[in-house]
Amino acid sequence: MRAFVVAVFAFLYLPIALVVLFSFNAGHHASEFTGFSEQWYGKALSNPFLVEALKNSLFIATTSALLAAFCGTAAALGLQRVGARTRGVFDALLGAAIVVPGVVIGISTLVALVQLFAVVNPFLASVWPTDQPPRLALGYGSIIAAHGLFSMALVTMIVGTRLSSLDRNLVEASSDLYATPLTTFRSIVLPQIMPAVIAGFLLAFTFSFDDFIIAFFVAGAQTTLPIYVFASIRRGVTPEINAIATIVLAASVLLVLLAQWQLGRRKPSP
Amino acid sequence: MSKSYRDGLPISPEKFVDQLMRLKRGSISRRDFLGLTGLGVATAVMARELGIMPTPAFGAENLGDRMSIATWPNYHDPQTFENFKAETGVAVEVNVFGSNEEMLAKLQAGGSGWSLFVPTNYTISTYKKLGIIEPLDMAKLGNFDGSKEDARFTAEGTIDGTIYAVPKNWGTTGFAVNTKKLAKPMSSWKEFWDTAMAEGDGRTMVHDYQLTTIGNALKYHGYSFNSLKQDELAKAEELLLKVKPHLFAVSSDYQPSMRSGDAWMTMCWTNDGAQLHRDIPEIAYVLGKEGGEIWTDFYAIPKDAPNKPAGYALLNYLMNPKVAVKEHLANGAPSTDARVNALLPKEVLENPILYPAAELLKPLEFGAAATLTDPGRAELMARFKAA
Amino acid sequence: MSQGTNSGQVLTAGGQRSAGAEAAFSMRGRFLRKNLLTALLLAPATLWLVVFLVLPFVAIAVFSVGERAPEGGYQAAFTFAQYANLPARATAFWNTMMLAPVGALACLLVGYPVAYYLALRAPQRWRLILLALIVIPFWTSLLMRTYAWMYILGGRGIPALLAYIGIEDLRLINTPGAVLLGIVYGYLPLMILPIYVSLERLDRRLLEASADLGATPLSTFLGVTLRLSLPGVMTGFSLVMILLLGEYLIPTLLGGGKVFFIGNALVDLFLQSRNWPFGSAIAITLVLVSVVVLIIANRISTRLSGARRVDLI
Repeated sequence: MRAFVVAVFAFLYLPIALVVLFSFNAGHHASEFTGFSEQWYGKALSNPFLVEALKNSLFIATTSALLAAFCGTAAALGLQRVGARTRGVFDALLGAAIVVPGVVIGISTLVALVQLFAVVNPFLASVWPTDQPPRLALGYGSIIAAHGLFSMALVTMIVGTRLSSLDRNLVEASSDLYATPLTTFRSIVLPQIMPAVIAGFLLAFTFSFDDFIIAFFVAGAQTTLPIYVFASIRRGVTPEINAIATIVLAASVLLVLLAQWQLGRRKPSP
Repeated sequence: MSKSYRDGLPISPEKFVDQLMRLKRGSISRRDFLGLTGLGVATAVMARELGIMPTPAFGAENLGDRMSIATWPNYHDPQTFENFKAETGVAVEVNVFGSNEEMLAKLQAGGSGWSLFVPTNYTISTYKKLGIIEPLDMAKLGNFDGSKEDARFTAEGTIDGTIYAVPKNWGTTGFAVNTKKLAKPMSSWKEFWDTAMAEGDGRTMVHDYQLTTIGNALKYHGYSFNSLKQDELAKAEELLLKVKPHLFAVSSDYQPSMRSGDAWMTMCWTNDGAQLHRDIPEIAYVLGKEGGEIWTDFYAIPKDAPNKPAGYALLNYLMNPKVAVKEHLANGAPSTDARVNALLPKEVLENPILYPAAELLKPLEFGAAATLTDPGRAELMARFKAA
Repeated sequence: MSQGTNSGQVLTAGGQRSAGAEAAFSMRGRFLRKNLLTALLLAPATLWLVVFLVLPFVAIAVFSVGERAPEGGYQAAFTFAQYANLPARATAFWNTMMLAPVGALACLLVGYPVAYYLALRAPQRWRLILLALIVIPFWTSLLMRTYAWMYILGGRGIPALLAYIGIEDLRLINTPGAVLLGIVYGYLPLMILPIYVSLERLDRRLLEASADLGATPLSTFLGVTLRLSLPGVMTGFSLVMILLLGEYLIPTLLGGGKVFFIGNALVDLFLQSRNWPFGSAIAITLVLVSVVVLIIANRISTRLSGARRVDLI
């Protein structure tokens, strides 16, 4: 079993090793290793398009994951408090938000927003007091919303699953012991669902940071990192892209190590 | 930070403008001078900072610091954009596309973000009709000289006397063969398709582009490359569906696969054929004797271009014969501009890949505008890909 | 099971607390407050779902009965011609319906042992790190990693290595196998994580009890572990399967336009042939297929786990 697990990890990390290796390639292409050089890191960080794409992706992923974690957790809690009918409608919609494939979400959001803007923009222009009415357009907002839709449904589902397996006796005991509902929530429910909320947030972040297909349709003239990388694959990848991927990888490893170290400090393992 | 950036400049802005105005009247090319002295960067910086705009080249307008161009795979010398950035401070993002349909779709949906793009001859009338491109402001394109262009290739950029697009280069659509893997000599589209199902099984690529893929399948039966006739298209579809399982890939970016040896034969444009043959001599470029496509690619500016000043500046830069000649050397497609041809080395002008024999050129057809929007061809191509 | 009863129970619990004459009034206030809170909890999600799920769906439903405009795009009409044309994409639907379950199954076969090891066998202090190692790859662009596979499977990768030992002209890239490999690679963590969560929650005393009662490791695994982790398995399986139904990138990069999924057909209709109405009809059909898949998955997982719901606040 251990050997198998090791093999799976090797499988997972082989392409990553290649990505990292080629980021140090002296040559111009990400396909032939011609010597060692770290020049591409400088080039990547001074490429305004690449840096902007990275910043956009970080901003969009963080915002949509936070919104999704918050709204999704609230919805999961709210759903515990409604009748079977409301619940059924919600479950269906949330289920739909998860099952509707990303490519359909992207296309349909694009189609709907383009139609919506075609109505709203002239209206805004006609009622706006100055010559410069705000113009709605595809961009950050549409990507965050479209990413958040899936993420929120995912968080609701994950937290909901956790809630449904929560030890109900504890909640009842807490009430019996005259704890206020808020106290019960804070001291019994929240600690138990927190891992699910965090897992949901991480999944949401990862999903958004990595999503190509939805952003491809609703990004308008904005660029996210995956959109930039896709365009690069078509025009020929330079090790610049490998360099930025390596930086992102290093940052995430660092974060994980930091989190581990923090956890270790708080409760030393026996 | 209190120190003014002007302190570091060798001359005062006033004097600099003065000198530029004098240069403008002089015979020496301004661009050569700027390039030589590195003053281009300084000009751009000052133009931005001070709002002075002494020359049409760097515009009275703010060029911004970035723009994006939509073009074809392996179509430019990357150094061109580096040089442009050094001169103007504008970084250029290059987006590549595999078909005119893809470019059209992006422009139709709005918000493409391009300030310059490279459409093929037969598409320009449709872009004009849809109001997607704008008439070019020739005052901003001082480096373009219409009288030096080869009229055989450049007519479609001008509609009713208005210039909507200026030519980049012309070329042909044939196929490239790795002769080490497929030794049998070939000279026709019939052989291309037949070989794809025999010796070239699993190693042949066709364009992800309805015009050439359907057009060259039509050629198998000797029909017109541009046919819109139901029965002829049905015969072409039959052939395409038969070939599909034998293909290596459907993609317009075939250079990587040809270079790595994954693909042995591919539908191919002049420029890619020239580049592949230059680097890997055993890759030959063949024109089908039944005919096929001859084309000219143009530069045009979308109506909703986010950075038109930079779009014009780059276009004007690319129209400079000294810049264009480097583009042609890197890209390999023949120029339409007599000034560029005068600068090209003899071996380029005698390269049969670029300048095929007259009897091979004769049966070639320019793409027809109707093929771009014809629903039958679009759906045929989509069915072929989904098969 | 019913939510109403549960609310009632908590209400009663609260009611017992506020005994005496104030009881009725207090219960009324509590009831209103409770409803307001419920509405507040659900409001953001509702808004989100309506604007970015229901509205877009209505939009493509309307488009799907329209016509392709002469230059491409959409033109208003009322016709079912687009739906009648669906068989023209039968192969793409077929490829998708075949590769999605096969891909999800492959992910499960590879992912389950890993999740099992992480949740039950790995040393406690390593668990988080190993879990992180599963997630980290997904912070490096999937595109980049798939591109790496393009290199590994392409002519300069494994085939070049094999040529050294005399196996010439092997083609790996642009085959269904390459796409399947890309799928397993790309979706593995989505399979591992939910299974891990369900295994990690598992009460270890059950395993000990099972062993104490003389069960063999295999029957403990089948009777206890596997059974209790089934909700996770179902979550992972349906998640992977549903994402695969709309997959576009992996077939594009590793299939070379040869292994065509319905997602590819969709993108093609919007970005190349510009037939928005037909694209919309295919999108609607794809959604319906996905919903059917989900309903089946839900039925199975409800049967497998009859979890009670509790009132939480």
